[in-house]
Parts: sequence; structure tokens; C-alpha cells
Amino acid sequence: MTLPNLYLADLGPGLELSPSTLHEAAYAIRRNREQWLRRQRTRTLVELLAYAADRWRDPQNSFRLRALSEGAADAGFGPATLARGLDAFLASVTAENLEGLIVQDLGDAKRLDGFAGTMPELRTGRTSFARGPELLVHFCAGNLPTPTLMNLVLGVLTKSAQFFKLPTRGGLIPRLFAHSLAELEPKLGACLEFATWPRERLDLEDALLANADCVTATGSDERIQAVRQRMPVRTRLVIYGHRVSFAYIASEMLTLYGLKRLVADAAADIVAWNQLGCLSPHVIYVQDQGVVSPEGFASALADELARLEKLEPRGELSPTEAGAILSARTVYEMRRAVGPGPLDLARQESVFFESAHTVHLWQSEESTAWTVVLDTDPTFKHSCLQRFIYIKPVKQLAAVLRFAEPIRSQLSTVALAAQEDIGAAHALELARWGATRICPLGRMQAPPLLWRHDGRPALGDLVTWTDLESC
Amino acid sequence: MLDPHSLGTRRLAPAIVEYIHRTSPAAAPAHRLTAEAADAQFEQLARELFAAQFAANPPYQAWCRSRGVDPTRIRSWRDIPAVPTAAFKEFDLTCLPPAGRTRVFHSSGTTAQRPGRNFHDAESLSVYEASLRPWFVAHVLGELPELEAEELLAPGQDPAFLSLTPPAEAVPHSSLVYMFDTIVRHHGARDSVFAGRLDAGGGWEVDHDRALFALRKSMCANRPILLLGTAFNFVQLLDHFAAGNIRYRLAEGSRVLETGGYKGRTRVVPKAELHALITRHLGISPRRIGCEYGMCELASQAYDDPGADHRRFHFPPWARARVIYPETGADVPDGQPGLIQICDLANVASVVAVQTGDLGVRSGDGSFELLGRAEAVEPKGCSLNSADV
Repeated sequence: MTLPNLYLADLGPGLELSPSTLHEAAYAIRRNREQWLRRQRTRTLVELLAYAADRWRDPQNSFRLRALSEGAADAGFGPATLARGLDAFLASVTAENLEGLIVQDLGDAKRLDGFAGTMPELRTGRTSFARGPELLVHFCAGNLPTPTLMNLVLGVLTKSAQFFKLPTRGGLIPRLFAHSLAELEPKLGACLEFATWPRERLDLEDALLANADCVTATGSDERIQAVRQRMPVRTRLVIYGHRVSFAYIASEMLTLYGLKRLVADAAADIVAWNQLGCLSPHVIYVQDQGVVSPEGFASALADELARLEKLEPRGELSPTEAGAILSARTVYEMRRAVGPGPLDLARQESVFFESAHTVHLWQSEESTAWTVVLDTDPTFKHSCLQRFIYIKPVKQLAAVLRFAEPIRSQLSTVALAAQEDIGAAHALELARWGATRICPLGRMQAPPLLWRHDGRPALGDLVTWTDLESC
Repeated sequence: MLDPHSLGTRRLAPAIVEYIHRTSPAAAPAHRLTAEAADAQFEQLARELFAAQFAANPPYQAWCRSRGVDPTRIRSWRDIPAVPTAAFKEFDLTCLPPAGRTRVFHSSGTTAQRPGRNFHDAESLSVYEASLRPWFVAHVLGELPELEAEELLAPGQDPAFLSLTPPAEAVPHSSLVYMFDTIVRHHGARDSVFAGRLDAGGGWEVDHDRALFALRKSMCANRPILLLGTAFNFVQLLDHFAAGNIRYRLAEGSRVLETGGYKGRTRVVPKAELHALITRHLGISPRRIGCEYGMCELASQAYDDPGADHRRFHFPPWARARVIYPETGADVPDGQPGLIQICDLANVASVVAVQTGDLGVRSGDGSFELLGRAEAVEPKGCSLNSADV
């Protein structure tokens, strides 16, 4: 299929952009929004989004086929990984969920259409109306497509014109999704714009920021800081910064009969989006003293990752990424080979442990496809990702919280595998500590649509309220 | 009793220095090894050095053994297991017994991380100096055919150096400054200057008054000057020039050697832009701006061809670079990108083969084009490739 030239990004990398091009593009989508999108009822938009998402799940859908075939080159995922990740998201984009999201964040499904009131509001003689930004600008990250797709969905619900500053790689799928919306409803497609430019073009970034009513920025903390510094003072900025996640498996789950399921769930979280999302685990903490030892769990996980590599291969990496894995593997190979002794500086400097840490390593042969490192040092460690997981045995959850303290402010999701009664206590402990999402193992990369992204109401953060008080 | 180091690596050092002398660009024709002999001896020395290091370097031996490698398995220098630079942060990858480690060089990078460390003693430093001098002289002091030596070196006169780094006494753990110091000691005029100093946070900064004084002095005397420094040293100097709207025209024949490197600074200027700024503010033509590629984990350096469209780095004959595909460890085909791996005979007291995280494109003659240095390949999860917001 050939895509029509709807968006600046469709014209390819050779396109010379100037600030005036962006001013004109912003003006055009703002006008189109005023003439059409602003006047649509929420229900119409919900149906449209749900229908578009449903069509994408059809294996013969041409947009989907193109996303899967070209997505590997653009975003670095194999077709199977891409399909699984996209389907998990698309399946959640239903009319019921979209309306549920509006009710959850705004209290009433018709809030974006006119004045409405919840019981407490009506009791105090008030109704209120939530209005989205006229022009919503997104600075998108390229590691996976779903956060950008979710932003697109939210912006349609708030009836906003949307400008997406795409990353140089990884922007194809959101753009394809916009094309599929434009095919269903050209007037909606005309309220969207996509473009990309090199990071150095601050003049373009400034031009875009000057036009925005609200901005979302996803990516590294440094880049978000750079955007924040140049924001006009009265424009709202919603940030989705760098986040990390981990899993915790309580000892009572480590039974012989439960192992297979446990390992399948853990592997699913590692394989999903090749572990590149903020919701993917860097470390799996395993409570020791279970029937199955942490070594037993790690070894079974390695087998499962090897099996999945055949079904859903990770795909090729850049030399730099593969080199990072190679380098990390070597350090652990060396630790394992050297064993406890005076050569390991980390051990000498450790104030928490007198006993030496031991290391086991399982890895794919002749490739960097997957790596399991069992390290008895419980300190949280950032993984190189791309299916590289640390297994760290601990005595109890309290130890995890102590050793993960350095990443507490960046924590997103904790996957918890525990019996219900213990799980509830653990969940509260984790929530008080700072986790913004606690989910079962195996579902880390499949948050529900109504998920409060980074602990904030994603839709609620975009709107501005008007309160109407009756006499 | 003699330790394994004294038995092995120490015994090999003179042979390696001899090899350096006989393959160096400065070697007298009668003394110079033929290409064939040089290849054969390189092979022989690399294998012997590996065997000696295997015996004397415990973590290296343990790691090689865990991979099923020992000196009897090595058929070619390419088979020698290369240690990633990351391992130098954690392990003492040295053949020197603790009491014999009289000097240590640290890798640059962000201060939050533990640096990589390469240990030396008097003998390994003498091999280091034997390695660094002839290649520097050939590439920077102008014995290359396209640069006329007399421009810089008036008869009987040593060139004046201005190093923008702090002096060696202030930064004893910098292998780069040790190298500059060695060069200036042996080849520099007496009024050569180290114009850097340490700031309050321990970072390097350029003392602009001293640097500008040295530059003005050379201009007044119409005498060429040779500027040395890291990329960030030059950024600092040029920022100062830009702020004061200063433009100098250094004497004809003046040169710049820039070593890359930003030491964890947030501001990074693309190479082409940096060189354009040097030309604009110092009046040094692009073909007089050379780049160096080196690291504390090695004892030899590579230099590029100034002015060429594709700047290729060349290691000396006693250090050979490969560009490998990390998934398999195999050489990439010519023109393809991969990671740079170096087999450096001058690295006598450590490990002969080092795996970098730096990205390069291989060219047929063993040289490579540098695409990017991995100053901190500490992956950061989500931001791995989402950095271009």
C-alpha cells in the first residue's frame, strides 16, 4: 500500500522544515479542529476509535500488515513481538473502556460534551464541563509505539488538534494508525500532524511550543528538562519521564507444580516489547526458602526464554546494543569465574553484606538473544534490556525496598506474585513506598486502558474545567 | 621466588620494545622488518604475551578458562579473548603483584561510576612510552608526506606545545596527560605550557589567561604552536573566544590534536562543528587538525588523517584493530559498522586484547572510521533509544 501524503512526516526525511511551515501546519489543524472535531459528540469519537482499533486486529488489515512488515526496520522489533504488543494495546481500545476512562477521570461520560454533574456536584448546585486543549503537542519517544498511540487516543477524546513530534526512529506505527483514522474519517485525520527533525533544530521546537496549549513529553529526564526549560510559562506540560520496573515473587509461589506457570509469566514480561518499555522488569526479586530455589527458577526461566526465542525471536540489534550485552555478560562471567575473593571491588565496598555474592549465568549461545543473571547481590541493577534479566534472591519484601531505594523516585510497575492474603499486605507496602502500579506477573506490559499512567489521571491531566454554579 | 609476572610478561617486554623499534615509521630501512616478517612476529609475540598474561593475571585466566580458552587453544592473535573495557572497572586486570603497581591510570567518564583502571610499573611505563612516541611523532609532528616537517620544526628548535589539560602532577591518573607530558618532555620546547587546572568539583577546566598568553606569545614570535586537548577542553576554550569575540591567526604551521572525550559533560559539539570553530577562532586549517583515539586500558593510540573526507584512524603496527560484530565476535566485512577491538602488544602488564564499546566502520587496511564512542555504555532502560524527544 502507498500512503497518501497527509502529514509532513509522509514526505520523507528530505523535507526541509522551517518554523513558518510549523506555524502554518499548527494553524491548519487548529482550524480543522474548530470546524469539525470540537463539534463532535464524545460517543461518535469513542465509536470511531474503537472501530479503528478493532480493524487493526484483523490479520489482513493493510495498515497492520505494513506495520508488522516495516515496523521491524523502523522500531527494531520482530513481527511476532510487535504483533503481540500491539494486540495487547488494541484489544483494550474498546468503546466500553474508552467511556470507562472518561467516567473514571472526569466523573461522567458526557463531561466533554457539555455541563454534567456528579452527585456531590449536583448537591452543591454545580455542574461542570471539561474542555480539552485546542492544540495538543506531543514530544514522543521511539522505544515503543504504544505510549504514542495512547496519547493519540486521549487527544481525540479531548477533541484536540494534535501535533506529534516523532522520534527519528520508531514513529511509523503511530503515523500508520493516524492514516487508518483518516481513511475512516478524513476530517479527523485533518486534525492531526506528524513531523520529525533532528534534536538540534531548537528553532522548530520553539515554533511548535509557541503554538501549543498543552504539551506532553515522553523520554529521558534530560530531554524532558530541555523541553521544560523552553516552555512558554502558561502552557501546561505533562511529562512521562524515565521509569523502571521490577517483579517480586514470594516464596509460597515457588512450588514444583506452580513453576511452569510462573516461569511462563516471567518470560512473557521479559519478551514483551523486548523489555524496552518502562513497565518491563529490570530485576526479578525472588524470595528464597521456597520449594523451588532461586537457581531452580532462574534455570527454568532460561529454558523458557530459549523456547520463546524460537517462536518469537528478539531480532537484530545494533552493534552498540549487542556490545553492551556482551560487555555485561563478560563482567558476570568473570565474577562467576573468579568466585569470591579479594579481586571483586564491589564486594569489598559493600557495607550490607559480609558474605560474598555468587553469580550464575545462563545465556543464548552464539548470540545475545537472551541472558539470565542470578546475582545474590540484592542491589537493584539496571538491565541492558533486550531480554537481559537479573534474578536476585532476597529474604523478604522489606529487603527489596531497601535495595531498590536508589530507583524509588523512578519506579513505575511492580509485578507481584504472591498468595492473596500476603499479596494484599505487600501491595499496600509497595504503594506506600511509591509504586504507581502493581500487577500480576505476566501482565507488566499490558496495562489496562484505564491505567493511571505514572500514577496520574492521563486524561484528567489534559483537560481544563469550567464550573457552572446555579443560583 | 619469582612471581609469574617476572617470569613471563617482564621477560617479553624487551622483545616487544624491539618489535616497536623495528616496525616504527622512524626505523632505519636496514633495521625495518618486512611486512611479512612483521606479521609473523606480531603473531608470535601476541601469542606469547597472551600466554604470559594468562599465567600472571588471575581474573583473566579464570575468565578464559571458564570459556574453555587457554594458550594451547590460540591459533591466531584473533583468537585471544578480548576483555571489555567495562571489566576494568571491577577487576584488577593486571599481571603486576599489588606491591608492584606503582602507577594507575583511570578511565574518564562520569564521576558517578567507578572508573576503569590500568596498572603500571616502571617497566610497563617504559613500554608505553616506547609505543606512544614514534606514532605521535609520525602523525602529529609531521613526518607524514602531506605535512612539511620544517613548517613546525625549525632547524634546531623544538616545537612549543600548549596542552589545554591540567599538568601531569595535578592529574596523575590520566593516561592521556601522561602521554602529553611524555611528548612535551621529549619533543617540546622549554616554554611549552599545560594550561588546564582542576575546578572545585575536580573536573578539568582551561585557565584561559594562561592559554591565551601562550597563544599570543607564539603569534608575536610568529612561531607555530601545537595545541593538545580533549574535545571538551577545546569547547571551553572556544566558548571563551566566542564570548569575547576573539579571533586569532596562529602562525603558519600551527596544529591541533584533539582526542575526543567529554568526560561526562552535558554539552557535546559534533566533531565537524568543533573543527570549524577551531578554524574560525584560531586560524588553523582543517588539514592541520588531527584526532587521536586512545584509552587508559590500552598503551597504544590511533591517529586519523587530517583533512580527509572520511577520517580513518590508524593504529601502529604493534597494535592491530579489528571491527567485530558483537553477536558472533566475527570480523565485519569492509564498510560495515561494528565494535572496535584492539590487540595491543604494548599493553604488557594488563591484557593484550581489549574490547571497546566504540562503534567503527572497518576499512580494508586495518584502519577504521570512528562512528561513536561509548563513554558510558551503562544502559538506562527506557531512555536507551528514546533519547531523541
